[in-house]
Amino acid sequence: MTDEIRKEEVLAVYPRVAEAMADALGCDVEQLVLDIPLIEGLDAESIDFLDIVFRLERAFKVKIPRGKIVEDARGDLSEADFEHDGYLTDVGLQRLREYLCEVPPDRFRAPMKVGDIPFLFTVETFCRLVVRALRAAPPA
Amino acid sequence: MLTVDRFNAFSFVDRITAVEPGARVHGQFTVPAELGRFSPCLVAEAIGQLAGWGAMARSDFRSRPLAALAAEALMWCDAVPGETLSLGVEFDRWDEDAVVYAGWARGGTRLLLTLNGCVGALLPLDEFDDPEEVRAHFDRLCHGGVPGPRFCGIAVPEPVIVEREPRRDLRATFQVPQSAPFFADHFPRRPVFPATLLLEAEIVLAGALARDLLPPSSRLLRVADVKLRTFILPGQTVTIEARVRSATDDSVAVALVAHVAGRRAATARIDMGSGSGG
Repeated sequence: MTDEIRKEEVLAVYPRVAEAMADALGCDVEQLVLDIPLIEGLDAESIDFLDIVFRLERAFKVKIPRGKIVEDARGDLSEADFEHDGYLTDVGLQRLREYLCEVPPDRFRAPMKVGDIPFLFTVETFCRLVVRALRAAPPA
Repeated sequence: MLTVDRFNAFSFVDRITAVEPGARVHGQFTVPAELGRFSPCLVAEAIGQLAGWGAMARSDFRSRPLAALAAEALMWCDAVPGETLSLGVEFDRWDEDAVVYAGWARGGTRLLLTLNGCVGALLPLDEFDDPEEVRAHFDRLCHGGVPGPRFCGIAVPEPVIVEREPRRDLRATFQVPQSAPFFADHFPRRPVFPATLLLEAEIVLAGALARDLLPPSSRLLRVADVKLRTFILPGQTVTIEARVRSATDDSVAVALVAHVAGRRAATARIDMGSGSGG
């Protein structure tokens, strides 16, 4: 199975992702679009990400470990190769750019703090997270 | 003894009857007979505190959970002063910085309250409390418990309604006291206004809105989608906006947002109705 996520897979999960996000953020589904940044566009805070993940787990009956996005982006890189003193290394930033391919390239600015990665997250980031979790889930 | 006084102020577990580290914990709390009422919020607090004991013990008293999210609390019936509550918590999941659990409280054979989908953010215990004092109290709870009933009641800040559109929405404020006995227990090193007392105020306001829409026999059925974004500190002013989200002949759902210092501090939904429970 290819790791590439197709647009139709994203669109297939979007309605339920949007519903969970709207409930978590206290906004209307109509305010959401795939490419809106959650922090800068919708005032999301860290507690909202926790809430969103738990809602997605319930909605899709999947497990999404905390820190999954950063962990997956790092892949087989060692922690030292991925970040140094709280900042992404060049190779770490490149890995993140490849992993979060739905985020416009100009939003990845070096030096980038690991703690600032959530500023990149969009609605589509979570759709893709769900698609990956569904792929990884054992067949019913 | 200072220790005993401190745990009298806002502690709702008298005894821990069973612990399976990381999996489940059971306990008890005796509601003092002298109290006129023991609110569902304090029953929920008791379950949350039992989860806290289980989580602190699992971390060897390095971290403690603080309420962050609760998917729902179902209120089945009220606790009766004088009765001993049986409390239970099942831990669903542990992450590096959060624990997920469900819980229940019974009074005899009556199910009083169930909590589902609760998430506690795990924070360093020593920021809030003396880990050794907490560990010693845990040992007491596990080995026979502490003498009860001990809790003397709480003066809950009463919200004042400042704007009201009957059957639709209202806005209210209250002042968190600068000092109160419960801050000695919640928490000694970093006083935080208990989220369950905020909910208590929100339930009063949801009831005030629902009163115009429902029969007088209506009651609190459910608190859902609770999210606590920031600590509320002693002396802060809390503004609560309550809005009827949906209403039928026998139920009303009220959405609530609490603001502190110009930012959203907490959100919740409260269902009132004439149903038989939960």
